[in-house]
Amino acid sequence: MFGILTYRKPINYIILLNLLAYLFIFYNLKSYKFETFAVGLGIILLVCTTYLIIIKNRLGDEYLFLIVSMLLSLGVIMIYRLDNDAGIKQTVWSFIGLVMFVTTCQIFRLIKIWDRIAIYYVGLSVFLYLITLLLGRNINGATNWIVIGGQSFQPLEISKIIYILFLACYFKKPNQLFFEGMGFSETKKEKLNKLVLVLFTFLNVFFLMLQKEWGSILLISSIYIIVLYVYGKNTLFFICNIVMTIPIVLFGYFFVYHIKVRIDTWINPWADIAGKGYQITQSLFAISSGGYFGTGLGLGRPDMVPAVNTDFIFSAICEEMGILTGVAVILLYMLLTYRGLKIVLRVKKRFNKVLGLGITTMLGLQTFIIIGGVIKLIPLTGITLPYISYGGSSLVSSFIILGILQAISREDYADVGGEIDEGE
Amino acid sequence: MGIITLLMNFVFVLVIYCFIFSIIRLIYMDIKSINYYISNSNGKHPYLKLINQREMLNFRIEETYLLTKECSIGRDAKSDIIIKDPFISSQHAQIVKKEGIYYIKDTGSKNGTFVNDNPLKIGFEWRLNNGDKIRLGQVEFLFVDILSKA
Repeated sequence: MFGILTYRKPINYIILLNLLAYLFIFYNLKSYKFETFAVGLGIILLVCTTYLIIIKNRLGDEYLFLIVSMLLSLGVIMIYRLDNDAGIKQTVWSFIGLVMFVTTCQIFRLIKIWDRIAIYYVGLSVFLYLITLLLGRNINGATNWIVIGGQSFQPLEISKIIYILFLACYFKKPNQLFFEGMGFSETKKEKLNKLVLVLFTFLNVFFLMLQKEWGSILLISSIYIIVLYVYGKNTLFFICNIVMTIPIVLFGYFFVYHIKVRIDTWINPWADIAGKGYQITQSLFAISSGGYFGTGLGLGRPDMVPAVNTDFIFSAICEEMGILTGVAVILLYMLLTYRGLKIVLRVKKRFNKVLGLGITTMLGLQTFIIIGGVIKLIPLTGITLPYISYGGSSLVSSFIILGILQAISREDYADVGGEIDEGE
Repeated sequence: MGIITLLMNFVFVLVIYCFIFSIIRLIYMDIKSINYYISNSNGKHPYLKLINQREMLNFRIEETYLLTKECSIGRDAKSDIIIKDPFISSQHAQIVKKEGIYYIKDTGSKNGTFVNDNPLKIGFEWRLNNGDKIRLGQVEFLFVDILSKA
């Protein structure tokens, strides 16, 4: 085909960006390691292969993957520049993530009982939390890592997906999930089911509190409130939930030292620059030193910021690639959220609708929480930036939920037969 | 040294924004075709639905074409449905309506018109049924007629 090199195909820009970036790194870092190009070519190959699989097998919406692969490329570029070994590891994790992405996409469509196994979701969730509690290792202040065979991973990333699946089960048939055929009256059944929903949410929050994962608590409760707002029919119940969160937040502020520190450094980080405010002030310095176009890949000092690979990768991107790239990253996330919402609008099955909304909300909120924290818009909570931050379990679980979203999107590109039947 | 770095960063940022622009452009095309489909089809008229992935084709094409009247398909600017595919002739085919039934007719194309992979003779009117696949050049359409199915 003569049109392969057209300027209109977004995939070509991803290839170009990767080539340019690894060339800059090779030139600027002055270490002249040829593995730089190996990483670059690896990422290009991975992205192109997956894109071709999506196009050839007609796996639904392709913009989702294009946007995500741009974010992934930026992430691997930045991580490789910060720490060569971590960059290579991240490439391997990207491979695993993309494989998971394609498999999830297929499995989700083939197995059709996702909406009927709510009780197993609860069981699995509790099991994962308990196992973390018993075997968890403390890495970087939060006890939520499990080490198996030298590889550490965070079960809580999977718990988040399970929680969204449970929400989708619940809102598929509101108030009729459990206690079916046990002789309760309708109103009583409704109340009991609501109780189960609230209890399960609190269970999640409680276990996350034990793990000291404040960012995830914020995320899960926000997803709960938003999905409830969109699909819940009972306004009083919704208001009750909102009112209930206020004392919890106040309790957190006054009695949990950790949260108090975060809020105080958010209000005034300059009071204790060398101590508690160190992270956030370094992040602000990094962002401001970049200027519009950045210092250039490999020419800045983003390594001054603590945890720059994971939580603070956005400030590193801003420093070395410029605030314009930072804005571009935020724009990409906005496009991703928009695509997700659009898929949700067109999907017909209620289970998939709620699931899609939950996933989209999770991606959008996670981005908002961490980018907002890094630029001192909201109090900082440690949470990964999806698809960009370094970390295997976070990347793989992000790709799993993207796979689910992709599988949902395929439905509205329905096969020929389905679409005709609709008109009857 | 400083100039080179600045130039490099500039190119880098430019590539990212070009990417975002191309994505937004595709999404815009996507939304436009939906609006067209929603505003025009109230279920009374049959329409042609594109089977190909639109992004794989290098020319302008809509996702759906509504058949409100008889219409001609071709590369020519006078056609009702203009498709700038190099494999489509300037006057390729015509869809005609007789007593509520739709027929397709090849009006002298070079590469032929196919309905469900059967080549059409020039000038012969082939009756279209719901779910027929029409292939012209690189483009493949699905003929959707909800009313005729009843």
